[in-house]
Amino acid sequence: MSERICIDADVLIIGGGTAGCLAAWEARQAGGKDLKIVILEKAFIRHSGCLSAGMNALNMYINQGTPEDYVAYVRYDICGAPIREDIVLSVAREVNDTVKIMEEAGLPMKKKEDGRYLNRGKWNIEVNGSLLKPITASKAFEAGAEIYNRVYVTELIIQDNVCVGAVGFGVRDGKFYICRSKVTLLCTGGAAGLWRPNNRRDSHHRIWYFPFNCGSAYAMCKRAGAEMTSFEMRLVPVRTKDTFSPTGTLAIGMGAPMVNALGESFMEKDPYYRSWGGHTAPTPIRMLAFQRETLAHRGPIYMDTTKGDPAKVIGLKGQYLDMSPCIVLYWGCNDIDPSKEPIEIDGGDPHMVGAHAGMSGAWTRGVSRESTVDRLYVSGDALGAAPSRFISGSWTCGRIAARHMVKALKENGYQLAEIPEETLKSLEDLTFQPLRRYAEKIGEGVWTDGTLMGGVSPKDLEARMQKIMEEYCGGRTHWYFVNETYLGIARKHIERMRRDQLQYLCAKDLHDLQLAWDVINRLDVCQLVVEHISFRKETRFPGYVNRTDFPDPDPGFDCFVNSRWDPETDEVNCFKVPYQQLVKGDRKKQSI
Amino acid sequence: MPPKIDPAKCDGCQGESEPLCEQVCPGNLMTLNKDSMKAIIKDVSDCWDCMTCTKSCPRQAIQTVLQYQLAYFPGKLIPLVGTNSVTWTSIDCHGKVERFVMKTLAAGDDEDED
Repeated sequence: MSERICIDADVLIIGGGTAGCLAAWEARQAGGKDLKIVILEKAFIRHSGCLSAGMNALNMYINQGTPEDYVAYVRYDICGAPIREDIVLSVAREVNDTVKIMEEAGLPMKKKEDGRYLNRGKWNIEVNGSLLKPITASKAFEAGAEIYNRVYVTELIIQDNVCVGAVGFGVRDGKFYICRSKVTLLCTGGAAGLWRPNNRRDSHHRIWYFPFNCGSAYAMCKRAGAEMTSFEMRLVPVRTKDTFSPTGTLAIGMGAPMVNALGESFMEKDPYYRSWGGHTAPTPIRMLAFQRETLAHRGPIYMDTTKGDPAKVIGLKGQYLDMSPCIVLYWGCNDIDPSKEPIEIDGGDPHMVGAHAGMSGAWTRGVSRESTVDRLYVSGDALGAAPSRFISGSWTCGRIAARHMVKALKENGYQLAEIPEETLKSLEDLTFQPLRRYAEKIGEGVWTDGTLMGGVSPKDLEARMQKIMEEYCGGRTHWYFVNETYLGIARKHIERMRRDQLQYLCAKDLHDLQLAWDVINRLDVCQLVVEHISFRKETRFPGYVNRTDFPDPDPGFDCFVNSRWDPETDEVNCFKVPYQQLVKGDRKKQSI
Repeated sequence: MPPKIDPAKCDGCQGESEPLCEQVCPGNLMTLNKDSMKAIIKDVSDCWDCMTCTKSCPRQAIQTVLQYQLAYFPGKLIPLVGTNSVTWTSIDCHGKVERFVMKTLAAGDDEDED
């Protein structure tokens, strides 16, 4: 038995990131000084997660128009497809207040002469966000939250469809952490690393999304029996080649259009792309255009930075240093001057995100952020069907979730649950299983290279999973194409790995145990992805998922695809949920 | 872009319970080599290039080097962290130097300690 750390919380926040830190702050405002707020964070809260490299813009801000205009924009940006307009609207109404709070917390804002924030395009504002994460974390410190760094949460504790806490292990101390809670917010980010990355060997983590986000929020929600949504709506990033740095800085900041090898600005040339708005076409359509141009042998594809003002290049490098510094080094090493040559772009490995231009996550009730499991709330990338919230929207979602949690706590007088020792014992066994198995298997022998004769490492399993997803679930090398036959093979192998092969997963130390849980969680997410893509027998988000057997949109699928996992049969059962249009107007057009 | 640690500069953050780079790495990748008492990365290929360790090192012992498969030798990018700003020095493969001073906190605020 491992040494135990037992914690009781009124409000438990799992994941001290963008949403979690602001949720802690808001919970304190709404809940008063006696509320016990606990954060479990798998790294170190001041520098963890997606924001660790910084960010040079906040991509959600109402510079003009109304919150309804923002909803119309978000809806348009994913091809007029269904989104939870109620959720996006609730964020849009509050996002500007949140940005003000963060400015007061020390975030350097860029401003125009009239004192207003410097906008970059319609809905974005520029910041010097190199220290965005420490500034975000300062709100959790200000709230007086009890923060446990380096605790990897492995499982929620569920009693009769009520979340009553969570367990995990100390990444450094190896202790078993048990946190009982009255309400719980799960916000541990989205999922990278399901598909094989473009760069190999020593640069396999040179990807766009944060590679240490393994979809644990999705996997834990799924295993808790929560209703999940939109796992067919993955994000396929088109980013700068090799470094996978964001391109908004080039497109919006430099006014650089996508061009092909012939120098043609194809978004403005092709009537289909023009019908979607040309350069500003929805994100999946721009991805599709990149794919089509390359497949028509008109590649490489570039962002043409050569037409802008050369003096802007210094500013451009500065902006990248605030967010993705490696590209400045990459340009320096490869003799690239963006004012003299266009910047090559490439499609990367798909990611599952809920807060960027993707919308996978847990389904929630109304605007409460409460999942279909009682007292379990989600925010940030874990919140489904509400895309394009980005950083400022995720801060805001954390705040909104916290208010609903505190309200529910007060109104219902929730109490801490008694958790039977046998439950804790089985969760502990589950948590440490790969580590304990290693100790058992080492007796069966070790090869001369130091690997076990009787087991499989987390990285072996990850490589197998990425190969399956790449080759049978529409990876980059397959140009994101799938059909039912490919999906059937993906299903067979992901099932085999989950049902049969996890019994061989061994972790040699605590870092390896973290990697083991990363792959366990990723495999759960893979199962959701395969079943959701298989269920949506149409192509609604071309560029993201191209179904060769159903290449067009089908009006019968103008709805959400949700699912629930059955622990008895290990099946993911998908079903349709209607979309409700709240903001009037043409779904395939922006309102301003 | 894995962090490379200069053994002449790294002192393993003596006096700290663990080196600063180990404290801040979001991927749990940095550690202290118990033999040399210098920082090392557990697996160079797992780094995301956030440069947090490079910026946090009190002795500027960490240099971020791009993988050779991505970039030629010997360009450098060196951050020097101040109270409210970070000064970046970019030296390309031909020795051309560029400097950038980027604001990190709104003026007048000091980075809070914890």
